[in-house]
Amino acid sequence: MSEFSKAPHPQADADNAAFLDAWKEGRLIYQRARSGGRPFLYPRPICPYTGSRDLVWEEASGAGRVISFSLVMRPNHPAYHEDVPICLAEIELDEGPRLLARIVGEGRDAVTSGERVTIVPREEAGRYPLPTFVRTK
Amino acid sequence: MQSRIGLAGYGHAPYEKRTTRTLFSLFAEAGSKALASAGLAFGDVDGLAVCSFELNPDNAVTTAEQFGISVSWAYLGTAGSAGPIASVISAVNAIRSGQATTVLCIAGDNYDVGGHFKLMDNFNRALRNYATPLGFGGANGLFGVIQRKHMETYGTRREDLGRIAVGQRRSAQMNPDALLRGPLTIEDYLNARMIADPIRLYDCVLPCAGCEAVVVTTLDRAPPGKRVEILSGFERHNHPPMEIAPLRGGWELFADRLFNQAGYGPKDMDCVQLYDDYPIMVAIQLEDLGFCKKGEVGAFLASHSFAFDGSLPLNTGGGQLSCGQAGIAGGLLSVTEAVRQLRGEGGDRQVKNARRGLVAGYGMVGYGHGLSASAIIVEAAQ
Repeated sequence: MSEFSKAPHPQADADNAAFLDAWKEGRLIYQRARSGGRPFLYPRPICPYTGSRDLVWEEASGAGRVISFSLVMRPNHPAYHEDVPICLAEIELDEGPRLLARIVGEGRDAVTSGERVTIVPREEAGRYPLPTFVRTK
Repeated sequence: MQSRIGLAGYGHAPYEKRTTRTLFSLFAEAGSKALASAGLAFGDVDGLAVCSFELNPDNAVTTAEQFGISVSWAYLGTAGSAGPIASVISAVNAIRSGQATTVLCIAGDNYDVGGHFKLMDNFNRALRNYATPLGFGGANGLFGVIQRKHMETYGTRREDLGRIAVGQRRSAQMNPDALLRGPLTIEDYLNARMIADPIRLYDCVLPCAGCEAVVVTTLDRAPPGKRVEILSGFERHNHPPMEIAPLRGGWELFADRLFNQAGYGPKDMDCVQLYDDYPIMVAIQLEDLGFCKKGEVGAFLASHSFAFDGSLPLNTGGGQLSCGQAGIAGGLLSVTEAVRQLRGEGGDRQVKNARRGLVAGYGMVGYGHGLSASAIIVEAAQ
């Protein structure tokens, strides 16, 4: 991202700080109720499947598949104008949770539904404020 | 015997791409016109419902202060553009329970294209934290994900979805209040500028300023010959939970009750006013509300025409796709148009023999899609 400092960032709070901090190190983590239940994203203070507030974090492998996507030509903020098309994708992690995320890099305009994606290499994660993916080679 | 309740009047403040007018000025104009069309005045109003994205720091009660009216029931919409129809449903219940006799329902906003992006970037915590920082392109990006999924799951084609935009534009050409009245062909639709592939320009609404208002009261207070009864109404929020881009919106949970309570089926509707933020959402409403089976809307669209004089008169004033989307007013534009048609006041776009119609709302975009659905069935009650 060309103008990282000007781009909109998530606001850290007590519910999402662990998630945002982990991504600064290139790790993608998600939540689950300690007593069991499906894993989920985005971060929240209550398990949306069980109602439990006793939650644990688990680390994803970073691999998943594209469920659907759009190629955004008109981003919501000028900081992204040099990055068009923005590939905005619904991605299902191998561990089950789904999230909205960008697919970046060469070939992002040739993505197809169903294909495999993986999070960007650890050293590149700091360029993006949220978990970000590339096509799996 | 329960008194019959309905829509006694309607009004609007004209849509503008940009305005220097205040929100309360738009509210006041639409509200005054709605009351005048009901043969009533502000002094008759004892219930007030307000829906607006831009109203903060004001609310329904401070709107009553601006108008100088004392009310026994006040309602502030919470369901985005499904909210105005939800407010009409709640107004019916408030009248039925004796909390009010005459409710003025207002929905309006005074923003523009830039204001729309700002609104979406901070629409709620989930979008602000987990979508805005992706450069997600506002609602266009999210509904591109939904449309692609519908196309790839069911084989829905753009040339079928385009029939919605093209049909509505034909009606808009008969509506002097529509902002977009130029001719629109299916070729124009298919080849338009790409916005968020597969969403192109004529899948999108034009954000603008404007306001809509209706009066809900018992039919005996409505002007004779102009009475429109509300036969049934339902709403649903956050269904299905934990899906980012579902191909249904919640209408499917109450469609049977909606029609059964009204005593009619989809084929009995003379006009249909659906929430048209994007043609794909109109298509999903047609499926969820039982006009066709889930996944079969492509063939349904191909076999119908949607202008006011078509086989299924749809958004007969042009809808938001042609009139413009005055923020949350888009969720009441459908109701005012239905009342206009059922009163026989549609002018050059009047649907012949329009006796009853279905009106649906949709909105409150969360993490991937609109969380709220609403619908009412209305009938001319002369």
